[in-house]
Parts: sequence; structure tokens; C-alpha cells
Amino acid sequence: MDLLENIKEATKEIFETMIMLDITPGDPLAENVTSFKCSVSGVIGLAGTCQGMLAIHTPDSVAKAITSSFLGMEVEEVDDDVTDAIGELANMLAGNIKMVLDAAGKDVTISIPSCIHGDEYSMDCVADAEWAVVPFSIDAGQFLVELQIKSC
Amino acid sequence: MNLDLQQQIIDSTQLLFDTMLMMPLTPGITLSEKVYSFEKSISGMLGFAGEIQGMLTIHCPQDVAFSITNTLLGIDVNEVDADVKDTVGEMANMILGGIKDGFTEQGIDISLAVPTILAGRSYRVSGMDDAMWTTVPFYLDEGEFLVELKLKAPK
Repeated sequence: MDLLENIKEATKEIFETMIMLDITPGDPLAENVTSFKCSVSGVIGLAGTCQGMLAIHTPDSVAKAITSSFLGMEVEEVDDDVTDAIGELANMLAGNIKMVLDAAGKDVTISIPSCIHGDEYSMDCVADAEWAVVPFSIDAGQFLVELQIKSC
Repeated sequence: MNLDLQQQIIDSTQLLFDTMLMMPLTPGITLSEKVYSFEKSISGMLGFAGEIQGMLTIHCPQDVAFSITNTLLGIDVNEVDADVKDTVGEMANMILGGIKDGFTEQGIDISLAVPTILAGRSYRVSGMDDAMWTTVPFYLDEGEFLVELKLKAPK
């Protein structure tokens, strides 16, 4: 199961069709990133035949840029519009990943998302899971998409 | 659907503390206002899906998390390390597992995702304000923690 390809395809498709921003995928990270500063993270669970979690981690500036493009309006600060947008982005990405996994014969359902915003926080998935983290670049900066799949 | 979310949360959390942790616990009254902001805290988030989609989150001040970890593992931690994160993750798994059993009795099937542990000096957790949510505070000698359950029926 090629998690990396799934992540890249899903993210590119969402950004091209819903967010309307050009993105460039980078090389997958050799080590997971678990500490964040002045960032926004959208998190959503995957359940059913595959248990896991998808997260998108964006620095404040990138979160605002994504939200501005998504909503078609200028966003000045990380407010509810931004956290809702990033949560929705996690939701859409997970929906895409779900479709890919279902097409491969799995039966995956997705939870509802949560969104975290903080000056300094850590996020760890404590399951013993297979993981992949792919960085993506937009004009405003870089963000990460993290996928953890425990049993599939 | 006749789910008493408050009772499900209380029963499941009480069971965990009675059987595995052996710490005296007092449930409080369901909060009427959402709590979004946390300082020096740990939040264990666990999504679920199936006939109902949702997320369970335990919000715990660091000191309370240390105390629970120390009791569970018989150690003496004073910083947010892997043991503390594993403990909060396991709490989320067990509390949601109990709630899942309660849902099954009502004929509702859900399956669990994997826990994610958030920790920090200062952070805000939000999302899906239109979901049904219930947050119950629990009191230990060492302090208070919150168990928040939010859910929505699938379209």
C-alpha cells in the first residue's frame, strides 16, 4: 500500500479543485515532526478495517493563506474561519484517502475533525503505526500532511 | 436514538478509574459552555466512525496527567514524556471503548481510530461546532480533567 502516493495525489487534487492554490510536493520526511510553533493542525481519525489518523500541520501564515484562497476573502488572523477551514481540509483529505483505500478493498470510515492552534505544542500519535509525512510548498510557505495507519 | 451521552461518559470513565487506576473519582455536572483553551495541558484525541462519527477528547492539566501516570505505572514522572502520552492515549482508548459498548447495547456500531496526544504550554482545540457535544468534568485529589465527546450522525 503506497501511503506516499496516496497522500500526494489526494493533497494535490484537493488543492487544485477546492483550494485553488498551486502546490509542490516535497520528499517524504525521514523523521516525523512532532513539535510545532505558531501553527494550526487539523486532525481526523480513520476507522473500520484501517485504523489510523490523518493530520495537516500548517504554520499560522500558511493556514491564513490557505483559508483566504479557500473562502475567497482576506484573512488577517487565525480565527474560527481559519480553524474551520483547516479542519475541513483534513476532512477532505481523509475523504480522498478513504476512497483510495476502499477501492483497494478496504472499508474505511472517517471521524469528525478537530483543529488545534497554539504558540507551542507537540502532537504524537501513540499507536504503533506505519506513518508517512509529506511536505508541500505553496507561495506562503510549507505545510505537512501526516498519515498514520495502524492496521489495514 | 436514545443516547444519554453524559451517563455513557460517566459510566465508562468511572469504570476505568475503579478497575485499572484505583483512584477515587468524582464526576461533575456536564458543562454548559464549551472549553476551548488550555494551558500546560495534555489532550488525548480519539476519533471514531461507523453509524455515528465523532471524537472523544480528554483534556488534562499536566500535573493531573503526571499523577495518573505515576499511579498507573508505579513511577514518578514530572515532565510530559512517552509514558505520560501513552497513559493518556490508553485512557482515551479505554473510555471510548466503554462508550462503544454502551452504543452497541443501543444497536449502534462504531469503530475506533488511533489516539493522538496533544501537549503544550498554551493551545486551543476547536472544530465542528455544529456537532452534538457533551463535556463532563471529573475530580481527583490532584485536580480536575475533562472528558469531551462530540458526534454527528452520518448524512
